[in-house]
Amino acid sequence: MRNSTQHIWSYRALFLALCASVICIKMMPLSLDNTGVPGPDLLLALTLAWLLRQPAVVPLGAILVVFLLADFLFQRPPGLWTLLVIIASEALRRRPLTMTEFPFLLEWSAFSGAVFVMIVVERMLLWVLFVDPPPLGLSLAHAIVTAAIYPLVVGISKFLFGLRKIGPAEVEA
Amino acid sequence: MARKPQDQAYARPVRRLLVMVLILVLIALVLVWRIDNPRIERMRAAIIDRVVPNMEWAMAPVTGLARMVDGFQSYARLYEQNEELRRELQQMRSWREAALQLEQENARLLDLNRVRLDPELTFVTGIVMADAGSPFRRSVLINVGARDGILDGWATMDGLGVVGRISGVGEGTSRVLLLTDNNSRIPVTIQPSGQQALLMGDNSPAPALDFIEAPEDIAAGDRIVTSGDDGIFPPGLLVGQVVETNDRMLRARLAADIARLRFLRVMRSHPGTTLGDPGMLIGPPWPPPEGFVLPPGAAPTFRPGQRPVTPLGLSREGTLE
Repeated sequence: MRNSTQHIWSYRALFLALCASVICIKMMPLSLDNTGVPGPDLLLALTLAWLLRQPAVVPLGAILVVFLLADFLFQRPPGLWTLLVIIASEALRRRPLTMTEFPFLLEWSAFSGAVFVMIVVERMLLWVLFVDPPPLGLSLAHAIVTAAIYPLVVGISKFLFGLRKIGPAEVEA
Repeated sequence: MARKPQDQAYARPVRRLLVMVLILVLIALVLVWRIDNPRIERMRAAIIDRVVPNMEWAMAPVTGLARMVDGFQSYARLYEQNEELRRELQQMRSWREAALQLEQENARLLDLNRVRLDPELTFVTGIVMADAGSPFRRSVLINVGARDGILDGWATMDGLGVVGRISGVGEGTSRVLLLTDNNSRIPVTIQPSGQQALLMGDNSPAPALDFIEAPEDIAAGDRIVTSGDDGIFPPGLLVGQVVETNDRMLRARLAADIARLRFLRVMRSHPGTTLGDPGMLIGPPWPPPEGFVLPPGAAPTFRPGQRPVTPLGLSREGTLE
């Protein structure tokens, strides 16, 4: 039992470290000229991938801190994207049992669906708040790229960090 | 994991409550941001001020490495570059002649006009620390801030042209909103026709020119400079050249190398004359000077806040006639 707690805490630390490095890399003044397809939202893919695999590794507090910091640093409306991520993560967190029996394709489509819904809801909220939303094409490209990067994130988490899918027996424990 | 079932029976509603409270707090944060924007943006600047300089030690080596890789890649194209530079040098020689002549002419003209160049147009130079990190925002962070006297709205240039404006100042950092950002709008003048236009950023490398009175007078290659109509930017800073895209839209090719920003100059601009009272500007001084006669049929109108007394000059009207 002690071993498992330690395991979870080390993964939590790893999660925070990965998020910090993703934020760092995004802030580097190297990508000033990329004007084509916007990059994927790696933070979101990482968070939801780990959440669907081992919910205990991604606690609510970690999501709050990481995304709120990202909101402030990336010049986004503070709190809006965090709000959506927390709602999505709570919705996905509630069904790890069903997810464990899902094949990967279904998990992927759940993730993609969540991303698209989040972006649409974000645009709607921005519209309600009279904030100019980013161009629709860019937003959609962003969502598509984020959905496309998901298998890669899952593969890296699985083979590099050894994050395996939680079994049905462990969900109840 | 080691929890007992009873624990979990309590934990679940508590957790749900926690999530609800969190969601409400976040909604409140967004609303406060929308309503009291300057306060939250100051908070954002403070957070960036706190966090980003700490990231520097981690980011600097990687950034340097990436720039070195960039440099090595350009080694591979050394021959082509050499050829290209030779060609450009040829062109530049002729330009240099033209520039020298123009410089002499300009000096003569300035002398004739007794122009005194504005000595207050000084600048502070900063180094780019980080960019916006989001695909939808075009902005960079520089390492000068309020302690260097930077103010919101000041123009920022690289060596050649305008890059953007300061938007958000922290104690030791400030954010430069680039001209290519979706929210960037600056008034410009297009030379030589002298037409006014607005340069509107749209996340593309070449911002669009809009609100032009007579687009047919503008040709590709015309120079774009800041007009200073906003009262914030100094007039006459080089922005770029006009280009015409396939869909007949006029855009600006920026003189600044937005893709490779390293050192930025923040131009200290000083507030121009502000007109606090429009009444001082419109119409003759009031009360009228002695000997002033109203045209026949015109009745004197009084401005709000002015005592409706008969001024001295008007009472003389009869005696003058």
